[in-house]
Amino acid sequence: MHTQAFDLTLAFFVVLLGAIGTYLLLPHRFGSSEPRRTQAVGGGMCGLAVLLFAGFWSPPGPFLSGLFFYVFSFTALGAAVLTITSRSPIYSALWFAAVVLSTSGLFLLEGAQFLAVGTVIVYAGAIIVTFLFVIMLAQMEGHALYDRSARSPFRATITCFMLFWALLYSMFTVRPPLADSAADAKGAKAPRLARMSDLAASDPGVKAVLERASRSTSSLRRADGQFKPHVAGLGETLFTDHLVTVELAGALLFVALIGALSIAPPKPPLRPGRRQAATSNA
Amino acid sequence: MPPPDDFTFEVLRNYLLVGAALLALGMLGFLSRRNLIVMFLSAEMMLQGVALTLVGFGRYHGNWTGQVFTIMILTVAACEASIALALTLILYNRRSSLDVTLWQDIREPGQPLVPVASEELTAEPVGPVQGPESYPQLIPAGHEPSHPNLPWTERRD
Repeated sequence: MHTQAFDLTLAFFVVLLGAIGTYLLLPHRFGSSEPRRTQAVGGGMCGLAVLLFAGFWSPPGPFLSGLFFYVFSFTALGAAVLTITSRSPIYSALWFAAVVLSTSGLFLLEGAQFLAVGTVIVYAGAIIVTFLFVIMLAQMEGHALYDRSARSPFRATITCFMLFWALLYSMFTVRPPLADSAADAKGAKAPRLARMSDLAASDPGVKAVLERASRSTSSLRRADGQFKPHVAGLGETLFTDHLVTVELAGALLFVALIGALSIAPPKPPLRPGRRQAATSNA
Repeated sequence: MPPPDDFTFEVLRNYLLVGAALLALGMLGFLSRRNLIVMFLSAEMMLQGVALTLVGFGRYHGNWTGQVFTIMILTVAACEASIALALTLILYNRRSSLDVTLWQDIREPGQPLVPVASEELTAEPVGPVQGPESYPQLIPAGHEPSHPNLPWTERRD
Protein backbone atom coordinates (compact mmCIF):
# COMPACT_ATOMS: atom_id res chain seq x y z
CA MET A 1 0.00 0.00 0.00
CA HIS A 2 1.58 3.23 -1.14
CA THR A 3 1.25 6.51 0.63
CA GLN A 4 -0.33 9.40 -1.16
CA ALA A 5 2.87 11.42 -1.42
CA PHE A 6 4.70 8.46 -2.97
CA ASP A 7 1.86 7.95 -5.44
CA LEU A 8 1.87 11.59 -6.47
CA THR A 9 5.66 11.63 -6.91
CA LEU A 10 5.56 8.52 -9.04
CA ALA A 11 2.66 9.97 -11.04
CA PHE A 12 4.70 13.11 -11.65
CA PHE A 13 7.56 11.07 -13.08
CA VAL A 14 5.15 9.00 -15.19
CA VAL A 15 3.62 12.15 -16.64
CA LEU A 16 7.02 13.76 -17.24
CA LEU A 17 8.55 10.71 -18.90
CA GLY A 18 5.42 10.03 -20.94
CA ALA A 19 5.22 13.63 -22.11
CA ILE A 20 8.86 13.78 -23.21
CA GLY A 21 8.65 10.33 -24.78
CA THR A 22 5.52 11.00 -26.80
CA TYR A 23 6.82 14.42 -27.80
CA LEU A 24 9.93 12.75 -29.21
CA LEU A 25 7.85 10.06 -30.90
CA LEU A 26 5.49 12.47 -32.66
CA PRO A 27 6.39 13.12 -36.28
CA HIS A 28 8.42 16.28 -36.19
CA ARG A 29 11.86 17.57 -37.07
CA PHE A 30 14.20 17.81 -34.12
CA GLY A 31 17.07 19.94 -35.31
CA SER A 32 19.53 17.90 -37.29
CA SER A 33 19.19 14.71 -35.26
CA GLU A 34 18.46 11.42 -36.93
CA PRO A 35 14.73 10.53 -36.77
CA ARG A 36 15.50 6.93 -35.89
CA ARG A 37 17.59 7.95 -32.90
CA THR A 38 14.97 10.34 -31.48
CA GLN A 39 12.36 7.66 -31.99
CA ALA A 40 14.45 5.14 -30.10
CA VAL A 41 14.93 7.56 -27.20
CA GLY A 42 11.24 8.49 -27.19
CA GLY A 43 10.15 4.88 -27.37
CA GLY A 44 12.41 3.98 -24.47
CA MET A 45 11.04 6.81 -22.36
CA CYS A 46 7.46 5.88 -23.21
CA GLY A 47 8.12 2.25 -22.32
CA LEU A 48 9.67 3.31 -19.02
CA ALA A 49 6.66 5.54 -18.31
CA VAL A 50 4.24 2.68 -19.00
CA LEU A 51 6.27 0.37 -16.75
CA LEU A 52 6.26 2.95 -13.95
CA PHE A 53 2.55 3.47 -14.55
CA ALA A 54 2.03 -0.24 -14.03
CA GLY A 55 3.33 0.27 -10.50
CA PHE A 56 -0.02 1.85 -9.65
CA TRP A 57 -2.00 -1.19 -10.67
CA SER A 58 -2.94 -3.85 -8.19
CA PRO A 59 -3.60 -7.25 -9.72
CA PRO A 60 -7.33 -7.93 -9.65
CA GLY A 61 -8.26 -11.32 -8.31
CA PRO A 62 -6.35 -14.57 -8.72
CA PHE A 63 -3.36 -15.27 -10.94
CA LEU A 64 -5.04 -15.72 -14.30
CA SER A 65 -7.27 -12.66 -14.23
CA GLY A 66 -4.36 -10.58 -12.94
CA LEU A 67 -2.16 -11.84 -15.76
CA PHE A 68 -4.81 -11.03 -18.34
CA PHE A 69 -5.34 -7.61 -16.81
CA TYR A 70 -1.65 -6.79 -17.15
CA VAL A 71 -1.49 -8.14 -20.70
CA PHE A 72 -4.55 -6.20 -21.86
CA SER A 73 -3.51 -2.98 -20.13
CA PHE A 74 0.03 -3.01 -21.50
CA THR A 75 -1.30 -3.77 -24.98
CA ALA A 76 -3.87 -0.99 -24.74
CA LEU A 77 -1.39 1.66 -23.62
CA GLY A 78 1.41 0.65 -26.00
CA ALA A 79 -0.93 0.40 -28.95
CA ALA A 80 -2.47 3.75 -28.04
CA VAL A 81 0.94 5.43 -28.14
CA LEU A 82 1.71 3.75 -31.45
CA THR A 83 -1.69 4.73 -32.89
CA ILE A 84 -1.06 8.41 -32.44
CA THR A 85 2.60 8.33 -33.44
CA SER A 86 2.57 6.08 -36.50
CA ARG A 87 3.56 7.87 -39.67
CA SER A 88 1.36 5.74 -41.88
CA PRO A 89 -2.42 5.81 -41.32
CA ILE A 90 -2.56 2.09 -42.16
CA TYR A 91 -0.38 1.32 -39.15
CA SER A 92 -2.47 3.71 -37.07
CA ALA A 93 -5.62 1.79 -37.96
CA LEU A 94 -3.93 -1.53 -37.14
CA TRP A 95 -2.72 -0.32 -33.75
CA PHE A 96 -6.14 1.11 -33.06
CA ALA A 97 -7.55 -2.36 -33.70
CA ALA A 98 -5.17 -3.61 -31.00
CA VAL A 99 -6.45 -0.90 -28.64
CA VAL A 100 -10.04 -1.95 -29.28
CA LEU A 101 -9.33 -5.64 -28.79
CA SER A 102 -7.51 -5.10 -25.50
CA THR A 103 -10.20 -2.70 -24.30
CA SER A 104 -12.81 -5.34 -24.93
CA GLY A 105 -10.63 -7.75 -22.94
CA LEU A 106 -10.68 -5.25 -20.08
CA PHE A 107 -14.47 -5.03 -20.43
CA LEU A 108 -14.57 -8.77 -20.02
CA LEU A 109 -12.51 -8.53 -16.83
CA GLU A 110 -14.87 -5.84 -15.55
CA GLY A 111 -17.78 -8.21 -16.00
CA ALA A 112 -19.33 -6.65 -19.09
CA GLN A 113 -19.43 -9.59 -21.48
CA PHE A 114 -22.05 -8.15 -23.80
CA LEU A 115 -20.12 -4.91 -24.21
CA ALA A 116 -16.90 -6.79 -24.91
CA VAL A 117 -18.51 -8.66 -27.79
CA GLY A 118 -20.43 -5.60 -28.97
CA THR A 119 -17.29 -3.47 -29.04
CA VAL A 120 -15.44 -6.04 -31.09
CA ILE A 121 -18.31 -6.32 -33.58
CA VAL A 122 -19.01 -2.59 -33.92
CA TYR A 123 -15.39 -1.50 -34.07
CA ALA A 124 -14.37 -4.32 -36.37
CA GLY A 125 -16.81 -2.90 -38.92
CA ALA A 126 -15.65 0.65 -38.25
CA ILE A 127 -12.00 -0.27 -38.61
CA ILE A 128 -12.56 -2.19 -41.83
CA VAL A 129 -14.35 0.84 -43.29
CA THR A 130 -11.50 3.06 -42.10
CA PHE A 131 -9.09 0.71 -43.82
CA LEU A 132 -11.02 1.07 -47.04
CA PHE A 133 -10.77 4.83 -46.71
CA VAL A 134 -7.06 4.69 -46.04
CA ILE A 135 -6.50 2.51 -49.07
CA MET A 136 -8.68 4.76 -51.22
CA LEU A 137 -7.41 8.12 -50.09
CA ALA A 138 -3.99 7.91 -48.53
CA GLN A 139 -0.81 8.55 -50.36
CA MET A 140 0.66 5.17 -51.15
CA GLU A 141 4.30 5.97 -51.86
CA GLY A 142 6.23 7.34 -48.95
CA HIS A 143 4.66 9.40 -46.21
CA ALA A 144 2.83 12.61 -46.98
CA LEU A 145 4.05 15.90 -45.63
CA TYR A 146 1.10 16.16 -43.26
CA ASP A 147 1.89 12.72 -41.83
CA ARG A 148 5.47 13.75 -41.15
CA SER A 149 4.78 17.00 -39.32
CA ALA A 150 2.60 17.22 -36.26
CA ARG A 151 0.63 20.37 -35.60
CA SER A 152 2.35 22.30 -32.76
CA PRO A 153 3.40 19.08 -30.99
CA PHE A 154 4.97 20.79 -27.98
CA ARG A 155 1.86 22.68 -26.94
CA ALA A 156 -0.40 19.69 -27.66
CA THR A 157 1.78 17.42 -25.53
CA ILE A 158 1.83 19.92 -22.66
CA THR A 159 -1.97 20.28 -22.80
CA CYS A 160 -2.75 16.59 -22.89
CA PHE A 161 -0.28 15.53 -20.24
CA MET A 162 -1.48 18.34 -17.98
CA LEU A 163 -4.94 16.83 -18.38
CA PHE A 164 -3.49 13.41 -17.59
CA TRP A 165 -1.76 14.82 -14.51
CA ALA A 166 -5.02 16.41 -13.36
CA LEU A 167 -6.86 13.11 -13.74
CA LEU A 168 -4.14 11.21 -11.86
CA TYR A 169 -4.06 13.83 -9.11
CA SER A 170 -7.79 13.69 -8.59
CA MET A 171 -7.62 9.90 -8.58
CA PHE A 172 -4.90 9.73 -5.94
CA THR A 173 -6.44 12.29 -3.63
CA VAL A 174 -9.70 10.33 -3.43
CA ARG A 175 -9.45 7.89 -0.53
CA PRO A 176 -10.87 4.39 -0.56
CA PRO A 177 -13.99 3.86 1.51
CA LEU A 178 -13.90 2.25 4.94
CA ALA A 179 -10.21 2.80 5.58
CA ASP A 180 -8.76 2.04 9.00
CA SER A 181 -9.65 4.39 11.81
CA ALA A 182 -6.18 5.99 12.13
CA ALA A 183 -6.28 7.26 8.57
CA ASP A 184 -9.88 8.19 9.18
CA ALA A 185 -8.99 10.46 12.07
CA LYS A 186 -6.11 12.07 10.19
CA GLY A 187 -7.91 12.87 6.97
CA ALA A 188 -11.53 12.98 7.95
CA LYS A 189 -12.24 15.77 5.51
CA ALA A 190 -10.60 14.07 2.54
CA PRO A 191 -13.08 13.01 -0.11
CA ARG A 192 -13.96 9.36 -0.06
CA LEU A 193 -15.42 7.23 -2.79
CA ALA A 194 -18.09 5.14 -1.13
CA ARG A 195 -20.25 2.51 -2.73
CA MET A 196 -23.94 3.16 -2.76
CA SER A 197 -24.59 -0.09 -0.93
CA ASP A 198 -22.08 0.82 1.80
CA LEU A 199 -23.73 4.20 2.22
CA ALA A 200 -27.07 2.49 2.50
CA ALA A 201 -25.70 0.09 5.11
CA SER A 202 -24.31 2.88 7.27
CA ASP A 203 -27.11 5.44 7.02
CA PRO A 204 -30.80 4.49 7.24
CA GLY A 205 -31.86 7.74 5.59
CA VAL A 206 -29.75 7.03 2.52
CA LYS A 207 -31.08 3.49 2.51
CA ALA A 208 -34.69 4.70 2.45
CA VAL A 209 -33.95 7.12 -0.40
CA LEU A 210 -32.12 4.43 -2.36
CA GLU A 211 -34.94 1.96 -1.93
CA ARG A 212 -37.43 4.48 -3.21
CA ALA A 213 -35.24 5.70 -6.06
CA SER A 214 -33.74 2.49 -7.44
CA ARG A 215 -35.61 -0.41 -8.86
CA SER A 216 -34.76 -4.07 -8.66
CA THR A 217 -34.03 -4.11 -12.37
CA SER A 218 -31.23 -1.57 -12.10
CA SER A 219 -28.99 -3.64 -9.84
CA LEU A 220 -26.34 -6.11 -10.96
CA ARG A 221 -27.40 -8.53 -8.25
CA ARG A 222 -30.59 -10.23 -7.27
CA ALA A 223 -32.09 -9.75 -3.82
CA ASP A 224 -30.16 -12.74 -2.46
CA GLY A 225 -26.83 -11.21 -3.49
CA GLN A 226 -26.11 -13.45 -6.49
CA PHE A 227 -25.30 -11.94 -9.86
CA LYS A 228 -28.09 -11.91 -12.42
CA PRO A 229 -27.46 -13.70 -15.71
CA HIS A 230 -25.59 -11.08 -17.69
CA VAL A 231 -27.42 -10.50 -20.96
CA ALA A 232 -30.82 -11.13 -19.40
CA GLY A 233 -30.17 -8.54 -16.71
CA LEU A 234 -28.78 -6.01 -19.17
CA GLY A 235 -31.75 -6.43 -21.48
CA GLU A 236 -34.11 -6.15 -18.55
CA THR A 237 -32.71 -2.85 -17.38
CA LEU A 238 -32.33 -1.59 -20.95
CA PHE A 239 -35.97 -2.17 -21.81
CA THR A 240 -37.52 -1.15 -18.49
CA ASP A 241 -35.42 1.62 -16.93
CA HIS A 242 -33.87 2.99 -20.10
CA LEU A 243 -36.58 2.50 -22.71
CA VAL A 244 -36.54 6.14 -23.82
CA THR A 245 -32.76 5.92 -24.16
CA VAL A 246 -33.11 2.99 -26.54
CA GLU A 247 -35.64 4.89 -28.62
CA LEU A 248 -33.38 7.94 -28.66
CA ALA A 249 -30.43 5.81 -29.77
CA GLY A 250 -32.49 4.44 -32.64
CA ALA A 251 -33.57 7.94 -33.66
CA LEU A 252 -29.96 9.12 -33.46
CA LEU A 253 -28.78 6.32 -35.73
CA PHE A 254 -31.52 7.14 -38.22
CA VAL A 255 -30.65 10.83 -38.25
CA ALA A 256 -26.95 10.03 -38.68
CA LEU A 257 -27.81 7.74 -41.60
CA ILE A 258 -29.74 10.51 -43.31
CA GLY A 259 -26.98 12.99 -42.56
CA ALA A 260 -24.25 10.79 -43.97
CA LEU A 261 -26.33 10.11 -47.08
CA SER A 262 -26.90 13.80 -47.64
CA ILE A 263 -23.24 14.72 -47.06
CA ALA A 264 -21.41 12.01 -48.93
CA PRO A 265 -22.61 11.98 -52.58
CA PRO A 266 -20.58 14.35 -54.75
CA LYS A 267 -22.49 17.38 -55.90
CA PRO A 268 -21.65 19.60 -58.85
CA PRO A 269 -19.79 22.68 -57.63
CA LEU A 270 -21.76 25.89 -57.30
CA ARG A 271 -20.40 28.48 -59.69
CA PRO A 272 -21.90 31.76 -60.83
CA GLY A 273 -23.47 31.43 -64.23
CA ARG A 274 -23.63 27.64 -64.19
CA ARG A 275 -26.91 27.28 -62.46
CA GLN A 276 -28.52 25.68 -65.45
CA ALA A 277 -25.92 22.93 -65.70
CA ALA A 278 -26.07 22.25 -61.99
CA THR A 279 -29.79 21.75 -61.93
CA SER A 280 -29.79 19.63 -65.05
CA ASN A 281 -27.12 17.38 -63.51
CA ALA A 282 -29.09 16.97 -60.35
CA MET B 1 -26.37 -9.85 3.70
CA PRO B 2 -24.66 -10.14 0.30
CA PRO B 3 -21.07 -11.41 0.25
CA PRO B 4 -18.37 -8.72 0.11
CA ASP B 5 -17.71 -7.62 -3.43
CA ASP B 6 -14.34 -8.59 -4.88
CA PHE B 7 -14.41 -5.53 -7.13
CA THR B 8 -12.76 -3.29 -4.55
CA PHE B 9 -11.60 0.29 -4.80
CA GLU B 10 -8.08 -0.83 -5.75
CA VAL B 11 -9.44 -2.88 -8.65
CA LEU B 12 -11.61 0.02 -9.76
CA ARG B 13 -8.57 2.30 -9.69
CA ASN B 14 -6.77 0.06 -12.20
CA TYR B 15 -9.45 0.63 -14.80
CA LEU B 16 -9.71 4.34 -14.01
CA LEU B 17 -5.96 4.71 -14.57
CA VAL B 18 -5.98 2.89 -17.89
CA GLY B 19 -9.05 4.84 -19.00
CA ALA B 20 -7.44 8.16 -18.08
CA ALA B 21 -4.28 7.26 -20.01
CA LEU B 22 -6.31 6.28 -23.10
CA LEU B 23 -8.27 9.54 -22.89
CA ALA B 24 -5.13 11.69 -22.63
CA LEU B 25 -3.36 9.87 -25.46
CA GLY B 26 -6.41 10.09 -27.70
CA MET B 27 -6.67 13.80 -27.04
CA LEU B 28 -2.98 14.21 -27.88
CA GLY B 29 -3.51 12.42 -31.17
CA PHE B 30 -6.55 14.52 -31.98
CA LEU B 31 -4.77 17.79 -31.24
CA SER B 32 -1.41 17.13 -32.81
CA ARG B 33 -1.91 14.88 -35.83
CA ARG B 34 -2.93 16.42 -39.13
CA ASN B 35 -4.25 13.41 -41.00
CA LEU B 36 -8.06 13.36 -40.90
CA ILE B 37 -8.20 9.58 -40.56
CA VAL B 38 -5.75 9.50 -37.66
CA MET B 39 -7.71 12.28 -35.95
CA PHE B 40 -10.86 10.19 -36.31
CA LEU B 41 -9.13 7.16 -34.79
CA SER B 42 -7.86 9.27 -31.88
CA ALA B 43 -11.37 10.51 -31.13
CA GLU B 44 -12.59 6.91 -31.05
CA MET B 45 -9.74 6.09 -28.65
CA MET B 46 -10.91 8.81 -26.25
CA LEU B 47 -14.35 7.20 -26.31
CA GLN B 48 -12.77 3.83 -25.42
CA GLY B 49 -11.09 5.35 -22.36
CA VAL B 50 -14.34 6.91 -21.18
CA ALA B 51 -16.20 3.64 -21.72
CA LEU B 52 -13.67 1.76 -19.56
CA THR B 53 -14.20 4.27 -16.76
CA LEU B 54 -17.98 4.10 -17.01
CA VAL B 55 -18.15 0.32 -16.95
CA GLY B 56 -15.76 0.25 -13.99
CA PHE B 57 -17.88 2.69 -12.00
CA GLY B 58 -21.05 0.81 -12.83
CA ARG B 59 -19.51 -2.43 -11.63
CA TYR B 60 -18.22 -0.73 -8.48
CA HIS B 61 -21.61 0.63 -7.50
CA GLY B 62 -23.34 -2.58 -8.52
CA ASN B 63 -25.75 -1.29 -11.13
CA TRP B 64 -26.17 -1.43 -14.88
CA THR B 65 -26.00 2.30 -15.56
CA GLY B 66 -22.40 2.32 -16.70
CA GLN B 67 -23.01 -0.43 -19.23
CA VAL B 68 -26.18 1.21 -20.54
CA PHE B 69 -24.28 4.47 -20.95
CA THR B 70 -21.51 2.61 -22.77
CA ILE B 71 -24.04 1.13 -25.18
CA MET B 72 -25.18 4.69 -25.81
CA ILE B 73 -21.54 5.69 -26.40
CA LEU B 74 -21.20 2.86 -28.93
CA THR B 75 -24.26 4.18 -30.74
CA VAL B 76 -22.91 7.71 -30.79
CA ALA B 77 -19.52 6.39 -31.95
CA ALA B 78 -21.19 4.58 -34.85
CA CYS B 79 -23.03 7.75 -35.87
CA GLU B 80 -19.85 9.74 -35.51
CA ALA B 81 -17.95 7.25 -37.64
CA SER B 82 -20.48 7.42 -40.47
CA ILE B 83 -20.61 11.21 -40.52
CA ALA B 84 -16.86 11.65 -40.02
CA LEU B 85 -16.00 9.32 -42.87
CA ALA B 86 -18.55 11.02 -45.13
CA LEU B 87 -16.98 14.37 -44.25
CA THR B 88 -13.50 12.96 -44.87
CA LEU B 89 -14.60 11.80 -48.29
CA ILE B 90 -16.10 15.16 -49.19
CA LEU B 91 -13.09 17.11 -47.90
CA TYR B 92 -10.74 14.84 -49.82
CA ASN B 93 -12.75 15.39 -52.97
CA ARG B 94 -12.44 19.15 -52.60
CA ARG B 95 -8.70 19.47 -51.95
CA SER B 96 -7.27 16.02 -52.87
CA SER B 97 -5.54 15.77 -49.51
CA LEU B 98 -6.28 14.48 -46.04
CA ASP B 99 -4.45 17.38 -44.44
CA VAL B 100 -6.63 19.22 -41.95
CA THR B 101 -4.42 22.33 -42.07
CA LEU B 102 -5.67 23.04 -45.59
CA TRP B 103 -9.02 23.84 -44.02
CA GLN B 104 -7.72 26.36 -41.54
CA ASP B 105 -9.12 29.26 -43.56
CA ILE B 106 -12.66 28.40 -42.45
CA ARG B 107 -11.83 29.42 -38.91
CA GLU B 108 -13.11 32.63 -37.42
CA PRO B 109 -11.93 35.75 -39.28
CA GLY B 110 -9.03 37.52 -37.63
CA GLN B 111 -7.42 34.39 -36.23
CA PRO B 112 -3.80 33.88 -37.26
CA LEU B 113 -3.19 31.25 -39.92
CA VAL B 114 -0.27 28.85 -39.92
CA PRO B 115 1.81 29.55 -43.03
CA VAL B 116 1.79 26.30 -44.97
CA ALA B 117 5.06 27.04 -46.75
CA SER B 118 7.10 26.79 -43.54
CA GLU B 119 5.95 23.27 -42.79
CA GLU B 120 8.52 21.56 -44.91
CA LEU B 121 11.06 22.90 -42.41
CA THR B 122 9.33 21.32 -39.41
CA ALA B 123 8.46 18.02 -41.06
CA GLU B 124 10.41 14.91 -40.23
CA PRO B 125 13.07 14.20 -42.86
CA VAL B 126 12.35 11.23 -45.07
CA GLY B 127 14.61 8.28 -44.56
CA PRO B 128 15.68 5.96 -47.35
CA VAL B 129 12.89 3.59 -48.35
CA GLN B 130 13.66 -0.10 -48.30
CA GLY B 131 13.21 -1.52 -51.79
CA PRO B 132 14.37 -1.08 -55.35
CA GLU B 133 14.21 2.72 -55.09
CA SER B 134 17.07 2.77 -52.61
CA TYR B 135 19.42 0.54 -54.59
CA PRO B 136 22.63 2.23 -55.70
CA GLN B 137 22.34 3.77 -59.11
CA LEU B 138 25.00 3.22 -61.73
CA ILE B 139 26.04 5.96 -64.07
CA PRO B 140 25.03 4.91 -67.59
CA ALA B 141 28.01 4.47 -69.85
CA GLY B 142 28.74 3.23 -73.35
CA HIS B 143 26.35 2.92 -76.24
CA GLU B 144 22.64 3.41 -75.89
CA PRO B 145 21.14 -0.03 -76.63
CA SER B 146 18.61 -0.29 -79.39
CA HIS B 147 15.81 -1.68 -77.23
CA PRO B 148 13.41 0.81 -75.64
CA ASN B 149 14.76 1.71 -72.21
CA LEU B 150 11.73 1.21 -69.98
CA PRO B 151 11.93 2.24 -66.36
CA TRP B 152 11.87 -0.64 -63.88
CA THR B 153 8.29 0.07 -62.81
CA GLU B 154 6.93 -0.56 -66.29
CA ARG B 155 9.04 -3.56 -67.17
CA ARG B 156 7.10 -6.77 -67.49
CA ASP B 157 9.82 -9.43 -67.75
